[in-house]
Amino acid sequence: MKRFVGMWLVIGAVLVGLVGLFYAFYALAALGAKGAVALGFPGFYGSAIVNAVTLMAVTLMTVAALLTVAERKWSAAMQDRIGANRILVGGKFALGGVPYLLADALKMLTKEAIYPVARSRFLFEAAPVLAFAPTFALFAVVPVGPEVRALGQTVGMWVANPDAGLLWVFALAGISVYGTTLAGWASNSRVGMLGAVRASAQMISYEVSLGMSLVGVMIAYRTVSLQQMAIAQGADVLGPIPALGLLLQPLGFLVFFTSSFAETKRAPFDLPEGESEIVGYFLEYSGMKFGLLFLAEFVEVVILAAVTTAVFLGGWHPIFFEGWLKANLDPMLFGAVCAAAFLGKLILLTWIQLVIRWLLPRFRYDQIQGLCWKLLLPGAILNVFVTGAAVLVDPSLQVLAWIGVAEIIAIFGITLAVSKPKAAHGGHDHGDAHGHAAHAAGH
Amino acid sequence: MPYQIDNRPADARESLYFPEIFRAIGLVVTTFWRNAFFSRDPNTDILERDRTRNRVTTLQYPEEKQPYPAGYRGLHRLVPRPDGSPRCVACYMCATACPAQCIFIEAAEVEGDPIEKYPKQFVIDELRCVVCGFCVEACPKDAIRMDTGEHPPPTYEREGQIYDIRRLLRGAPVSYEKDPWLVRPSKLTDAAQKANRAAARPYGTAGSDEYSQTPGFSVRELTAEARARGEGGK
Repeated sequence: MKRFVGMWLVIGAVLVGLVGLFYAFYALAALGAKGAVALGFPGFYGSAIVNAVTLMAVTLMTVAALLTVAERKWSAAMQDRIGANRILVGGKFALGGVPYLLADALKMLTKEAIYPVARSRFLFEAAPVLAFAPTFALFAVVPVGPEVRALGQTVGMWVANPDAGLLWVFALAGISVYGTTLAGWASNSRVGMLGAVRASAQMISYEVSLGMSLVGVMIAYRTVSLQQMAIAQGADVLGPIPALGLLLQPLGFLVFFTSSFAETKRAPFDLPEGESEIVGYFLEYSGMKFGLLFLAEFVEVVILAAVTTAVFLGGWHPIFFEGWLKANLDPMLFGAVCAAAFLGKLILLTWIQLVIRWLLPRFRYDQIQGLCWKLLLPGAILNVFVTGAAVLVDPSLQVLAWIGVAEIIAIFGITLAVSKPKAAHGGHDHGDAHGHAAHAAGH
Repeated sequence: MPYQIDNRPADARESLYFPEIFRAIGLVVTTFWRNAFFSRDPNTDILERDRTRNRVTTLQYPEEKQPYPAGYRGLHRLVPRPDGSPRCVACYMCATACPAQCIFIEAAEVEGDPIEKYPKQFVIDELRCVVCGFCVEACPKDAIRMDTGEHPPPTYEREGQIYDIRRLLRGAPVSYEKDPWLVRPSKLTDAAQKANRAAARPYGTAGSDEYSQTPGFSVRELTAEARARGEGGK
């Protein structure tokens, strides 16, 4: 019982800490904007530079690094284990395994770097950066918090606000395939090359359904800007229920989440690094170069959670008590609460990704391609047509919301409708013969 | 056969992948919730653990140890007398019985006593020991026991596994009513006795055999009783 209360206290403390942190970030962004104005530039230049540091270098990297620890501890909890707890600070406190982060960093940085002789020198060195940088830069367009007046300046919690927000996401997600492919190719190893080929084939396939799944969202919100989408999700549809992407596009959410999961190259889509068959495209990498490829994966997980939150889970909208919060709080504090809500949703989504990662075994290669081309892509295309028709019929999104509700109920229904295993009274021979007959009939 | 696999082809619902994955997510989330939000029962007997909420079966080894069965043969100890000196009389029975020849004894005569000997050195090489317990069986004075319930702790050097009398002589003193020092008092001074007792380290009793530890237990008396009942020869 003590642990039960303690865990909730920790979760509450993390949320309160996030509010405080983003309050400080808003203040810093406002100071940056003031500085830029004083120097004769537009205010958002300064806030963008400050946000690049606070959001990308601090928040994103901290969450991604903590995720390496979380993967150990959370996977342990899912598998009835305890997880990493042998580093005791002060000989007593395991601190939830967080000190392992420092130990890992120290190990990665001080490890000997071993180079294959026949490598392609420039590309070998560039590949980890090429894998890391595009995913990292994806975070620039993610709106973490709303635009508020802080210290006399109007600042937003994002680095960049291009009109083509989602196109930027697609473009950089497409580029990140170069890093993995070149890593395998430049290390001049057959096995690494195999991993690279698998990675490129998988990622290019899933990019199709990834793009197609978001077309429905673009149609529904009539924009490709992530900021506009986040704002649009605050509007009420179906009475008090806001127009979340999850409500309007459950099918799109499923397809997008699955495809972007495949883009992160983690289990069950970890064919490119199938440890039991080929070690993967980073086989020849060691030390911090491997660390960068490894970290890129975790950054991808966070980015995917961030984009999913922004597009489907209502972005920075706290959803509950939003009107009250907006009316009663100081605008800067309201912005901080919104940003903390965004990060809370983001952490929840990374947790769900870890659940799936530790739940499912690796797909076979034909299953991966079959899932993409036979299930996800048709589903996404169907979703585009249904969404288009619904928006054409009713631009107020009511019809689309009802279709979404119906889809959610259908998904629940199919999930809960477990077929009962047939009683095997007739003996195994009979059952097998029957099974073979049915199988043959299917062909 | 441990379990049977229902190897039927997937139906339409299962070949959609997603419904089954959702159900499995529910299962994993339940497990996570139980293990992350409820504390673990630290009972070292894992089968006895309360696993209704937290289902972790881990034993945090150096801090938590599984109880050994009674009669477990642990690290040797030399049993002290009440005055702290060893009960051992350096008769070489254990060294003779030892199949691994890991016991080395150097005997010395007790000063002013025409008969009694004591071990000047008593060394057991724990790396050679095969933990057969023959030394304990062979000892006529109940001077060596394997009732500590401990393993020889790991060391970085081989020398660390060679136990001499200073490391072996420890634990509770044992005295029987026919022991000679109960008739004629110990030759050690009070200060020496006190120092001996202070030097004796305690030992765990988790794995020790109660029967062999019972004070007053005497093979000779048991034999006498058996003889009185008319059992056994002579």
